[in-house]
Amino acid sequence: MVARSRQEVLKILEEWGKRIVEQIERGQEPVIEIPARTLSNTVWDPVKKILVLGPERMRRRFLDLKESRKFMQTMLMLKLIVEAIRENVYPTIRDLYYNGKHTIVYVDPRKRVFKENTWDDQQESNAVIEDIEVATSLLREEMGISADVKGKVVGPIIVRSKGFEIDATKLGDAALSLPPNPDELDIVKVEANYVLVIEKDAIFQRLNREGFWRDENCLLVTAKGMPDRATRRFIRRLSEEFKLPVFVLTDADPYGWYIYSVYRSGSIKLSYESERLATPDAKFVGVTASDIINYKITDEYVIAATDRDIKRAHELLRYPWFQSDAWKKEIQLFLKMKKKVEIEALSTHGLKFLHDYLKDKIHNKKWIE
Amino acid sequence: MLRLCVYKSHKIIYCEGLMKSSKSIEIRYEELSPAEWFRRNKELAGLTNPTRAMYQTIREFVENSLDATESYGILPSIKVKIDYYDKARGWVSVYVEDNGVGIPDSEIPNVFGRVFYSSKYRIRQHRGVFGLGAKMIILYAQSTTNKPIYVRSAPLGSDRIYEYVLMINTLKNEPIILERREYENKYRWHGTAVKVIIEGDWPRAKKRVEEYLKRTYMIAPYAEIILKAPDLFLCFPRVTTKLPPPPKEGLPHPKSVDVELIKHLIARNPNLTLREFLTEYFDGVGKQTAEAFLKWAKFDPNKKVGDLTEDEITELTTKMREFNGWRRPKADWLSPVGEELLIEGIKKVLEPEFVAAVTRKPSSYMGHPFIVEAAIAWGGRIPPSDKPIVYRFANKVPLLYDEGSDVIRKVVEEIDWSVYKVKFPAPLAVIVHVCSTKIPYVSAGKEAIADVVEIEEEIVLAIREVARKLRQYITKKEKEEEIYIKFATFSMYAGEVANALAYVTGKPAEELKRKLQELIVKKVGLPPVPGKAEVKEASREVAVEARK
Repeated sequence: MVARSRQEVLKILEEWGKRIVEQIERGQEPVIEIPARTLSNTVWDPVKKILVLGPERMRRRFLDLKESRKFMQTMLMLKLIVEAIRENVYPTIRDLYYNGKHTIVYVDPRKRVFKENTWDDQQESNAVIEDIEVATSLLREEMGISADVKGKVVGPIIVRSKGFEIDATKLGDAALSLPPNPDELDIVKVEANYVLVIEKDAIFQRLNREGFWRDENCLLVTAKGMPDRATRRFIRRLSEEFKLPVFVLTDADPYGWYIYSVYRSGSIKLSYESERLATPDAKFVGVTASDIINYKITDEYVIAATDRDIKRAHELLRYPWFQSDAWKKEIQLFLKMKKKVEIEALSTHGLKFLHDYLKDKIHNKKWIE
Repeated sequence: MLRLCVYKSHKIIYCEGLMKSSKSIEIRYEELSPAEWFRRNKELAGLTNPTRAMYQTIREFVENSLDATESYGILPSIKVKIDYYDKARGWVSVYVEDNGVGIPDSEIPNVFGRVFYSSKYRIRQHRGVFGLGAKMIILYAQSTTNKPIYVRSAPLGSDRIYEYVLMINTLKNEPIILERREYENKYRWHGTAVKVIIEGDWPRAKKRVEEYLKRTYMIAPYAEIILKAPDLFLCFPRVTTKLPPPPKEGLPHPKSVDVELIKHLIARNPNLTLREFLTEYFDGVGKQTAEAFLKWAKFDPNKKVGDLTEDEITELTTKMREFNGWRRPKADWLSPVGEELLIEGIKKVLEPEFVAAVTRKPSSYMGHPFIVEAAIAWGGRIPPSDKPIVYRFANKVPLLYDEGSDVIRKVVEEIDWSVYKVKFPAPLAVIVHVCSTKIPYVSAGKEAIADVVEIEEEIVLAIREVARKLRQYITKKEKEEEIYIKFATFSMYAGEVANALAYVTGKPAEELKRKLQELIVKKVGLPPVPGKAEVKEASREVAVEARK
């Protein structure tokens, strides 16, 4: 993928704005067309094993009471992004939220005062950033907009950023935080056998301190829960450019399993980004529902599934990207047992057991996908 | 036209069971005068405690004053004055003055000092029943403070003003005149003023009294009511000089009789034949109707009423109530407020945004004519609440207590308000006035109207009728509101959109804004020009919930 320069990006955004202005000048209601980022417009590509954006497009009309506010927010966000590029600054999505947040006051002919915030929470401003991305086929990263990056890595990898080389084996108990745009990161050298992606930071830290990566000569990565775009892009690069096998370790519940699917196939909300972010070869090592039985996890670690867990599991069963026999079997087992466990449950046979478990899973190919 | 007074010699036998020994019970009968009987049963008139007594006293006198004015075509001016008489003992003086027709000098002692001293055998809509309430108050005053009543009165056109200080001899049911004075009536004043000293709890009764007077004024906006009390001054100015036509006096309907009444009428003239009896004493009964009835009831039309046996009297009464060939009861004896006055009173007191009222056609139950009036008030200064606020009136008297057992509350509760586009909490008040020659009260306290099918049906129809008008109004408002909301929402965003696009493309923002505004007008139209009433609401903040 060729990243466009910020000046090219600016031009595309300005052109987009100009087309809306032209509608207004012609006396037409301004309407913007945006590919729909909905479950119904998320298409599973079984060959590429990723989620992609379907052909559905929605028309966001200014003079539609349901859409008008979003239309206004989209225009406001366009302005904020153009402003950032023109002024050569690199705001985060949170910066943009604060920059754009203000109260609009309007007094109508009856002298009634209408007051409204441009947006009330960051979800609203984030949503219009994503809308602009899909509408203009530009990526946030190309616009120079970053988000909080939660991802970090440790193990045999050397990267170069702004001319400084960082060796992720020489960080002690610390780890290397990933930068907002991993495409700008120069990966100098990787000598790992595989990448182990861990859902939870606490487990990542434990394995780091216990020298798991040194033992196994692997990279450990975590994004602390639901992965952000930068972490996913980084893992994709490791898989694509360095052909490293990628393994994912999460809790044994529908939320953990969905996290795995986001690494592997992409998310519903950001399916337009899957081409760039998904790692279709990522394997799931655990924890699975059947592990509870196979590894004889004792009762004190087993938690009863909640109604929400059950509901989520039924949703997963309906997703086309969870249709492999192995996954269907696991989810159905979960629904049958109505039990879940955390990764920590693998301490059931002593603290070192987690290492044995992972080695068993990875070396004996006991993964699913 | 004044009350022609006929003394009814009623005596009530009062029975007391006394335990004499453990083996035998001796029952002693004692004859009580009506005055004594009422003294012993004062809770019947709602005089159960000093708070209630305070309220009841004001209510009885104010109602007498209204009857003495509007029933005779006089615009009521009523002054109420309350003072602490002996604060330590909880004694309060209550003074009520009106500009009514007054009472002739010779009648004053009897009107106030003799229980069951009543107007002649005629029916019509009254607030009180034969002034019984006032006498109860005097008896209550006597039994709590033992103070006499002070009365001053001058009939219409009288050149003298008469003043009495009276008590009631409860054993003999006779007035005791303590003082009598008369003055020259220089300014041609007419009306009645009374003052009693009772045991009463003014601080506690205050809110009720205030509410009572407010509601009285609401249904009679042609009255002027002034209240002066230790810590309260109320002045309800006259809103209109229109008076509803006073009720006519008439004869009872043959369907509304009971055995006692028949006996009483027979005693007046036992020589009348049955045919004559029916045409003479009952409303809407001509010779033909009387004969048709008597044939149906198997009575000889020429039989003298004085010759009827007890059994025959009972049979006659039963048949009279059963017969379906009578003419419908007349409503001439009723005095409804009327839609126009009702609306004026409600507007003045509740200050709503919308009000609709209806006066239904007369109807009847058991021979008693009645009319239901209903109004709905919406918005404005009415506070939003979880269910409709109900204002109940019977013969123009506001009913404050005992709402739970009132048929009006029941009807209001059973109505599905969502049909009328009312979503609670809502600023909704329902006003219902029932007027009749006989209001069927639930109990002697006269604070709730009983569940009579015919009345209930009329209340339902009346409320539905005004509720439909409310729905039309709300629908119109909603449509208007939708235009306002759309217009305001788009206009509000237009500024933001214009500024953003101006920055991105370098076009002038004002130009873009103007063009967008044109598009908005083209799409939703211009909102209606605000009326004065709506401007009053200005600066009220509006949450834009429409698209969230």
